[in-house]
Amino acid sequence: MNTALPSEIASQLIALLAALMLVVQLLLVVQRMLLTSIRLFALQSLFLAGIAGVVAFFHGAIHVYVVVVLTLVGKVLFLPWLLDRQVRRMRIVQEIEPLVNFPTSMLVCGGLTLLGYVVSRPFTSLERLGNNTLAVAVTLVLTGFFLMINRLKAITQVLALLTVENGVMLAAVALTAYGMPLVVELCIFFDVLVGVMILGILVYRIRETFASMDTSKLSQLKG
Amino acid sequence: MSVLTLLLAVPAAAGLACLLMRSRRVLAALNVLAFGLTLALGVGLLHQVLTGGAVTEWDEFLRADALSAWMVLLISSVSLASSLYAGRYFQRDLAAGAVTPGRVREFFVLTPLFAAGMFLVVLANSLGVMWAAVEATALSSVLLVAFYNRRTSLEGAWKYVMLGSLGLALALLGTVFVYAAACKGNPQPLPSFNWSHLMTLAPQLDPRLIRLAFVFVLVGYGTKAGLAPMHTWLPDAHGEAPSPTSAMLSGVSLKVALYALLRFHILTTACLDTGFSRHLLLGLGLLSMFLAAPFILVQENLKRMLAYSSLEHVGLICVGIGLGTPVTIFGALLHMGYHALTKPVLFFAAGNIHQTCHTLEFRLIGHGVLKTLPVTVLCLGLAAVAAAGLPPFGLFFSELIVISGGIAAGQTTVSVLVLGALIACFCGMLLQFTRILPGEPKGGRRHDGRAWDGVPAMALLLGGLLLFSIWLPQPLLAVMHQAAGIIGGKS
Repeated sequence: MNTALPSEIASQLIALLAALMLVVQLLLVVQRMLLTSIRLFALQSLFLAGIAGVVAFFHGAIHVYVVVVLTLVGKVLFLPWLLDRQVRRMRIVQEIEPLVNFPTSMLVCGGLTLLGYVVSRPFTSLERLGNNTLAVAVTLVLTGFFLMINRLKAITQVLALLTVENGVMLAAVALTAYGMPLVVELCIFFDVLVGVMILGILVYRIRETFASMDTSKLSQLKG
Repeated sequence: MSVLTLLLAVPAAAGLACLLMRSRRVLAALNVLAFGLTLALGVGLLHQVLTGGAVTEWDEFLRADALSAWMVLLISSVSLASSLYAGRYFQRDLAAGAVTPGRVREFFVLTPLFAAGMFLVVLANSLGVMWAAVEATALSSVLLVAFYNRRTSLEGAWKYVMLGSLGLALALLGTVFVYAAACKGNPQPLPSFNWSHLMTLAPQLDPRLIRLAFVFVLVGYGTKAGLAPMHTWLPDAHGEAPSPTSAMLSGVSLKVALYALLRFHILTTACLDTGFSRHLLLGLGLLSMFLAAPFILVQENLKRMLAYSSLEHVGLICVGIGLGTPVTIFGALLHMGYHALTKPVLFFAAGNIHQTCHTLEFRLIGHGVLKTLPVTVLCLGLAAVAAAGLPPFGLFFSELIVISGGIAAGQTTVSVLVLGALIACFCGMLLQFTRILPGEPKGGRRHDGRAWDGVPAMALLLGGLLLFSIWLPQPLLAVMHQAAGIIGGKS
């Protein structure tokens, strides 16, 4: 079905796009402006949609086209728009100083990337496409976790969660070459949309009650 | 339409219908009606499963075997009791001006949706859809936890949703690994991601990937099931949610997450044919039990203490399954049932105490709740005795079954450890309740003439508990035996 040439190109393209996702993730780790962070997330999702598109095109998996459209509409357009609107409405521009400063964060993320490559090495034989796509996916998950604990603003934590989700979806494509079954993709997509909306409501209420979006203020419950 | 479809459609329709209603009475009645109906459907499903084996619908998209049927019964009973209790509870909250009518409607809309999500978890055949349903239960319950909009409830809700979502992201990664293990060496997409289909493929799955997947799923769903050390959200969310929601979170939501974990445990065991997943469950179960004991003892807040007691009980269920003999698994399933009937009563009573004393801190409640709220405290006392594991209540028997099953399987050390943790939790509960129940009421606090509020729901659950403690009907026994067979890998 596939001649050698297109799948060689596909493989290269996917590796490139996956690497770009990782680059965007690292930019996100050192980004302080909230609006820019949201754009970066949209860009990362665009690369994910690109990977799904390449898979759909070269592997002839029809249902993956649906995933491409869902990713484009949901994660590249709708969610960034929603978060953007919320940030503007709350008039917050900047993230406050993270727990770990930016140069150290960069180093930590470098370490996490290495870790991602090491832990996914035994499984590279199982990868169905691209070089080291799985390693990038694991790294996205790990750095997403780091981003979440490093930042204090509720909105940035939501973004971190979304990048973790991007990483998981990348792993799904990397390991199977056609992603999960369509009904599962639809359910996950729906959950992510509803999830961000509900988180938005919660962030709004936290902002109203605490007059701040700073989650370090959420520290009364102990023991 | 048939029973599985109806089980999903009834609560979902009730939730949506509540969007259009205004009157609190109508909302509460609609909820009670819906859950009464699902309970009846659950009994019907039980009958079908016992006579004809697993029930499937929508081209195997929905599938119910004995284990699912058992979970359906638990979800329906606890939801029914919660909705019975909720009407009066919110009436008092509204009278006290603690909430707005709009917020109360939000409760009656979200609760059936939350229940529908749990039904989907136990009825979905595809592991991917099951994941999405677990996520849906987390999302529908987070606004319920944030219900009172206090600083602390927002904090509890934020921790709940953030830890829950992170955990579930890991569970999704684990689910992806299982899918990849099934796809290995297969150029075409799998015909389905159904659990029943995967079970037929189990011996051919890649063992390394399955092992990795189970660890991710264990951490992921384990977070949602409140297993230590991922339990940190649990006391916050259970302590801050309104009492009917705490009852549902503790009574069934934890077990539904555990159910999701069990499906992977069964698959992993079928694939690896070793005790890998069993031992992990056993370890986490013991850790949860031992972590719960000291926290119960030093806890200063009534509902948070109850949350830690749930941690202990979930731990025991995990130990029962982790020991892995038919007897202990049966004991664990029995324990699930009895705990689902007991814990909501404790949370309902805590809700009454909260509304009368306006606090949940033991220190501020002071002595003499018995004189202030005699009927509530009677129910609380009975349920506390049951939860502490004393006869004649069923939890005593299920705990005994797990411990003696452990000894019979040659796992004496585990049994002794379990016994130690149970005794420690028992002492903790007893000590805490003696702090508030007896004595003279503080500052002339008198009972406010609403002594019977919430009693029907508590009496219903306690009656059921007592009845099933002395006499287990044949169909329930049969369904638990079949479910234990499924978990133990014998069918």
